Amino acid sequence: MTFFAKFCIPFIVGAVVMFAIVLIKYFSWLRNLPKSDLKLIAKGIFTPRTLAAVWEIVCESLLHRRIFRVNPRLGYMHMSLAFGWFLLIAVGWIETVAYLGFEWVPLQGHVFFKYFVPLNGIEGHKPVFDFVMDLLLLFVLSGVGLAWYKRMRSRALGMKRTTKHILFDRIALSALWCIFPLRLMAESITAAIYGGGSFLTGGIGTLMAKTINADILTLLYEPAWWLYSLALGTFFISMPFSRYMHIFTEIPLIFLRHYRLKPTAKEKSYDNFEVEACSRCGICIDPCQLQLQLGINDVQSVYFLRDRRYNMLQQKIANNCLMCGRCEQVCPVGINLNTLRLNSRSSMRNIPNEGRYNYLRGMDRSQGEGKVGYFAGCMTLLTPNTLSAMQKIFSAAREKVWWADKDGGVCCGRPLKLTGEPDSAQKMIDYNKALFAKHNITTLVTSCPICLRVFREEYDLHGIEVLHHSEYILRLMQQGRLSVNYSTDATFTYHDPCELGRGSNIYDQPRAVIEAIGQLMEPAHNRKNALCCGSSVANTAINDRQQLTIAQGVAEELDATGANTVVTACPLCKKAITRGATKQVKDLSEIVAENLK
Amino acid sequence: MKHTIIIGGGIAGMQCALTLSRQGVATTIIEKENDLGGKLRNWHVLFPTFTPADEVLSQMRHKLSTATNVTIKTGCEATKITPTAVTLATGEELKCDAVVIATGFTLFDAHIKEEYGYGIYDNVVTSADLEQMFNKGEVKLSTGETPRRVAILHCVGSRDEKVCQRHCSKVCCVTGVKQAIELKRLFPAADVFNFYMDIRMFGPGYEEMYREAQQAYNVHFVRGRISEVSPTIDNRLQIKAEDTLTGRPLKLGVDMLVLLIGMRSNDLNATLEAGSGLKCQPSGFMQPKDSFHGNVESGVEGIFYAGAVTAPKNVGESMNEGTTAAMAVVEWLSKR
Amino acid sequence: MINFGFSINKPRTIDIDRNNLRKSNEIMHEMPELQTCIGCGTCTATCTAGNLTEFNFRKVHTLVRRGEYQGAYEEMNKCMLCGKCRLLCPRGINTRGVVMLIKRKLGDF
Repeated sequence: MTFFAKFCIPFIVGAVVMFAIVLIKYFSWLRNLPKSDLKLIAKGIFTPRTLAAVWEIVCESLLHRRIFRVNPRLGYMHMSLAFGWFLLIAVGWIETVAYLGFEWVPLQGHVFFKYFVPLNGIEGHKPVFDFVMDLLLLFVLSGVGLAWYKRMRSRALGMKRTTKHILFDRIALSALWCIFPLRLMAESITAAIYGGGSFLTGGIGTLMAKTINADILTLLYEPAWWLYSLALGTFFISMPFSRYMHIFTEIPLIFLRHYRLKPTAKEKSYDNFEVEACSRCGICIDPCQLQLQLGINDVQSVYFLRDRRYNMLQQKIANNCLMCGRCEQVCPVGINLNTLRLNSRSSMRNIPNEGRYNYLRGMDRSQGEGKVGYFAGCMTLLTPNTLSAMQKIFSAAREKVWWADKDGGVCCGRPLKLTGEPDSAQKMIDYNKALFAKHNITTLVTSCPICLRVFREEYDLHGIEVLHHSEYILRLMQQGRLSVNYSTDATFTYHDPCELGRGSNIYDQPRAVIEAIGQLMEPAHNRKNALCCGSSVANTAINDRQQLTIAQGVAEELDATGANTVVTACPLCKKAITRGATKQVKDLSEIVAENLK
Repeated sequence: MKHTIIIGGGIAGMQCALTLSRQGVATTIIEKENDLGGKLRNWHVLFPTFTPADEVLSQMRHKLSTATNVTIKTGCEATKITPTAVTLATGEELKCDAVVIATGFTLFDAHIKEEYGYGIYDNVVTSADLEQMFNKGEVKLSTGETPRRVAILHCVGSRDEKVCQRHCSKVCCVTGVKQAIELKRLFPAADVFNFYMDIRMFGPGYEEMYREAQQAYNVHFVRGRISEVSPTIDNRLQIKAEDTLTGRPLKLGVDMLVLLIGMRSNDLNATLEAGSGLKCQPSGFMQPKDSFHGNVESGVEGIFYAGAVTAPKNVGESMNEGTTAAMAVVEWLSKR
Repeated sequence: MINFGFSINKPRTIDIDRNNLRKSNEIMHEMPELQTCIGCGTCTATCTAGNLTEFNFRKVHTLVRRGEYQGAYEEMNKCMLCGKCRLLCPRGINTRGVVMLIKRKLGDF
């Protein structure tokens, strides 16, 4: 058997083009990886990590486990398409082997098996395959049906908004949606003429044979297979240029991740794997507060990655993000959305300027002496309640404290990093590191989560333990150095600052402190799903009114808990929420200082 | 006899009741405090004449006490207002033929501007606190000493997006200059610095008072808004501002900081909007029917405004509006 | 350059007639709220950088608005983008955005 017919050409061309482009992409991305990344791959490839990666590929690329967790209906839709199609291919291959033995069959022979080997052309018909293949086709078609339905009524599938797609995506999407109905048609007509097929193709075939003239069926036979092949070819050719590139990108990405490759503050080749692994499912759109509260519809991670991928990213899109991390939290592919956005900003803005902060040289405005250093942070200087509360707490615990920046210090560097100037940020980092080293502290306490994060992630402070004041206060309480009065009448609600919660994974410590003082009432969105106050230093695009609108929304939710006091643990959040709240807003340290025994 | 209810027994409401009484209309003043007089009760002297607030108020009280057909209900709040009836918090419903809303304003809560340290540091006071201190004759620091250097900061809770108060409160500039003079009269040796963004001396005699403060009292004026206040080791206050006229940052240690708090709209206004079909301005103050031909009328026939409920106003203006609103009520009643 | 032993001082006057306002207009177009600055100086007073070195954000952006660009980029580079000014600006100006915008328009990126 030759396994060739003219109608196979679109499919063959498509498949060849697709595999060629995908391979070229893989190759160039891998080749441009920095040496350190290549070393990581070499170190990890012959370890159990590879097996773990394979298992994850099965769970994620085929079964879409993570989407299932976020939204089961959406999970089923994606799984039926991915896993269903995979099984169609796999079972199809087994079918070929079952009929023909281990004989080499070209790709189109597997794909168009029903055409080349219609039932009357073979001995020993195996109806079990007909049944399984029909079942699988039905499984995939159910996914296609859901996808169609989702286009029309996304809310039915638990999504308020879906992605607005570009042309290539639309072509690929249309082709993808046609593939399976066309396959159904082609196989049904084949069954109508030659028999075979099971409940689906066989059933429809029997129906067609009964109702449609045999001549017409013969006339439709070839065109039906042509259409199926054309749909496949179109999909394959558009695939590497469309969102469906994610199918083949996620697989190497999972391997690389298991080898501990990560995106960094500067763009590098690895980012391509993350950028193109985005399927533009749009799950990141709904949690975005810029969308939710301000109606901004073109800046979300899905659009950012799309624009970056096609080299059409604009500053106003890259800059318009709170970097609250709510989208990262739900991304089914687990893309490091914030880091990618940061290194995009860096590519657009970072200009190394050696002399830029020369004026910092030799500056030291710190006060006091002690093993414990306190870094208030720029913003905390504008919330003096926090400062005086910390002073009270320190003296209650009889802690000798070195005050790093009470009279104004040097910024921690995170704001510069967040706006895309990591090289300049490094100057502040170097300055502050030298300052900390000079004063021989062993513990560094800060009440600003923005500072905390950069201290932990970028400072490399050997021998100095960095603590957020919530952690520090809790520790003092546990050590018995600080005791507070508990009152059942005191009711608090707590706002998780983004940089503290999602950013530094500190959720329980502030809650434990609050619960030692009074009753804690959780708002509708908390912990990992907490809302952003809107004043994030990461966003330089929205204006004051827009910041206020977000803050008011957050304040409303906190007010709705009915608690007497809104507590947060970030000076920026405090300032923002105060603008919208009807209740008093306090920093964690304040309620501790007020209730000291 | 026709009956009008006046919500709010401040200076505008009192003046309105007085005029209506003279015009033969019976009035009931509903006042939530236990005493008439509103914010004026806590004020010391009034600009630009330095007339004691108490003098103005007692004159008004005296006139009201002799007026006929004025009923005063203190210690009670109105919860629902319609042109023909006012419901009190007690559930009691009072019938009427017209309503004048003269609920005035709320003083801005200086705690919100945390960076100025009100409620955190000793000797950070508001302009209202200072008036009380003047009244008690106890202008002194927390240590009991007399202040040697005082800073007065304009526009606290006015013209400030960050506290959602866009509007100018109009009277604080004048009050700031007046209080500077009062302080200098008490402590001639003390230095007084006014920190301002703009000095708005809009009324008769105000500009002259400003000039007098500079010339006769040597009050310093620094054009720049204070950004933050911190304590010094010797328990004084260190303030930071930019001296915008020289373009350089400025630091100043002072014994006392006076925050000229602005007027903000009452929280009640939003309830009025929701319950009575009245309209609020974006600033939260009530929206008069027309800025020229109906500035004491509301959008609802039979409901009138007087005083600072529609915008920040000084005492004289509020009294004038009390009269104007009364005349508008008379006209409205005569048509019915 | 030949040293003549003397130099011609740049005129002190801000000559708006002669200044090229194109960049300034572009900046105002992208950030119209900058026009609402009332020059209160809070930004400069609170400025982390301005307390450590000679840097006056208010003055620089005002000069830029008048078409005086010389040195503006270098001056803005002293900013640490800490964001204190944005928290205090009574007109709610996106000051950090202004710094970045001026640097983008007058710098080399």
